[in-house]
Amino acid sequence: MTEVKAELVGNVWKVVAAPGDKVEEDDILVILESMKMEIPVVAPRAGTVKEIRVKETDVVKEGQVLAVLE
Amino acid sequence: MSADGPGTRSTSAGEFEEKVKELHQRKGRNLAMGGPERIAKQHERGKLTARERIDLLFDPGSFVEFGLLAHQQSMRGNEIDPPEKTPADGVVTGHGLIDGRQVWVIAYDFTVMAGSMGAVGEAFKTSRVRELAMRYRKPIVWLLDSAGARIQEAAGSTFAGSGMLFYDQVQMSGVVPQVSAMLGPCAAGTAYIPGLSDFVPMVKGTSSMSLGGARLVKAATGEDVTDHDMGGSQVHCYESGVGDNEVDNDQECIAQVRRFLSYLPSSNLEPPPWVPTEDPSDRDVEGLDELVPANPRQAYDVRKVIRRIADQGGPAGEGLRPAAGRGDSLHSNSSWFEVKPSWAKNLVVGFCRMAGHAVGVVANQPLFKGGILDVDAADKAARFIRLCDAFNVPLLYLMDVPGFLVGSGVEKEGIIRHGAKMLYATSEATVPKITVVMRKAYGAGYFVMCGKGYYPDLIVAWPFAEISVMGPEGAVNIIFNKVVEAAENPAETRAQLVERIRETISPYVAAGWAMIDDVIDPADTRRVIIQGLEQARDKKVERPWRKHGNIPV
Repeated sequence: MTEVKAELVGNVWKVVAAPGDKVEEDDILVILESMKMEIPVVAPRAGTVKEIRVKETDVVKEGQVLAVLE
Repeated sequence: MSADGPGTRSTSAGEFEEKVKELHQRKGRNLAMGGPERIAKQHERGKLTARERIDLLFDPGSFVEFGLLAHQQSMRGNEIDPPEKTPADGVVTGHGLIDGRQVWVIAYDFTVMAGSMGAVGEAFKTSRVRELAMRYRKPIVWLLDSAGARIQEAAGSTFAGSGMLFYDQVQMSGVVPQVSAMLGPCAAGTAYIPGLSDFVPMVKGTSSMSLGGARLVKAATGEDVTDHDMGGSQVHCYESGVGDNEVDNDQECIAQVRRFLSYLPSSNLEPPPWVPTEDPSDRDVEGLDELVPANPRQAYDVRKVIRRIADQGGPAGEGLRPAAGRGDSLHSNSSWFEVKPSWAKNLVVGFCRMAGHAVGVVANQPLFKGGILDVDAADKAARFIRLCDAFNVPLLYLMDVPGFLVGSGVEKEGIIRHGAKMLYATSEATVPKITVVMRKAYGAGYFVMCGKGYYPDLIVAWPFAEISVMGPEGAVNIIFNKVVEAAENPAETRAQLVERIRETISPYVAAGWAMIDDVIDPADTRRVIIQGLEQARDKKVERPWRKHGNIPV
């Protein structure tokens, strides 16, 4: 299990992946918006998406878990 | 020897031979380091010996050793091992050539008393290297693989006379390049050797550095931690920023040292070496339209832009892999050499060559954290800018910055203090400075990335550049807050106002005021940068005398 965390504070612009999706390393899971930028949050490794813990427009903190891979 | 000479001569010749033989024996014994068993153990750990490393570091056959015959001496009459147990006192020193240029080396020999720093090695051998490197103004390289101070010699208050190595390093800073190759442990105070160095590559798995080694930490605070977990490359190249580039093995580490030095002069009195290139100066930069989204909100990898702009070819990568992370196979043979690729990844720094001349690149990296500037990014930039300025390496700023990160988190981290370092370094730098505004140039981000107020020698923008104190959305929120609130359809009104502001954010406004020198076709970027560097080649800036400024630290 790998937790994928937000690197900085922002809000959730788009949720790209869904639970059950098979992903490759560097596939985009969620796109955050912070400081006018779209910030892709990518899979650190290949795997299956177990959970997406945020929804669009949510405000997230640095270090908050956005998704879980298995 | 002549057999028919006078008898007395023949006796003398015998003595002569004897003495020379003894010399060779003594040297041979010390060249064998800690002996076959300890050498085998060193290899088992995945490490090369000090002498194997030196062979890789220098051009073949160019190493000249100083102090080979040294060994441990008795201090305060205490028992010591016989001389043959401490060949060279555990540190190999001397000079050799890297790409034909003289460089001095201090290589700790882990096969002799775990490379511990003894009185002879420290007080006489390494100090000799520092003295001569400074006398001739040549770079110095430490190959670090040492258990730290040799406590059996250093314990007690003769410690009062130690520590001048760091003083020397500070005097050398900005005069000659200093490199610490981390090839093994480097515990306790000696960790300040890399701490004061200009470049610190670390071998994954075998190298570590910490102010206190694991055993000392356990004794001092009770914390249970290994040297590796406390100070390995996974800590220093990813989290602390003390290490620069993580590498897989000794060979790669030493290749990186050679590569790093290839961009720098031997001292601050010289220009960096020029390396002939076949790559045309007026070459179009192709493929930028596929690489850089015109929508400034979207991410891309700025390293790919740098590789396309920089000279192709040049000295071989010497087996170097492409910079950590996403590769760019199209231009893997680029002169681009990234420094600190895995720390503060939202800002990219490194060296490349343009028309054969070394250039230091500072680029915002939209791929990570949107390229926002935070405390680590500002530190990384400031340190690199000062390195380039100290050693006459011109600076290229590739700007695409949404600004400094704002909020309570970064204020607690001291973003103002850290951001001020980058302002300071950019202002202070007197080497040629070229600024290319690729996309966003917002707020103080525009300042620290060498905006007009920081005296760039050339500042140009791409056609979709956005230079402004803030983005249109933020501006509308502040300027038209009440108008939007009072509107019948706030969302629609806001959108209209955002568009109105957006029209005022255009490179043609800045170019219309002649605040920037030109708006350029991105395909011309390489040619324009090279012209700018040529234009500023004879740059000389005189500043009013001062002892030194007071950079925020």
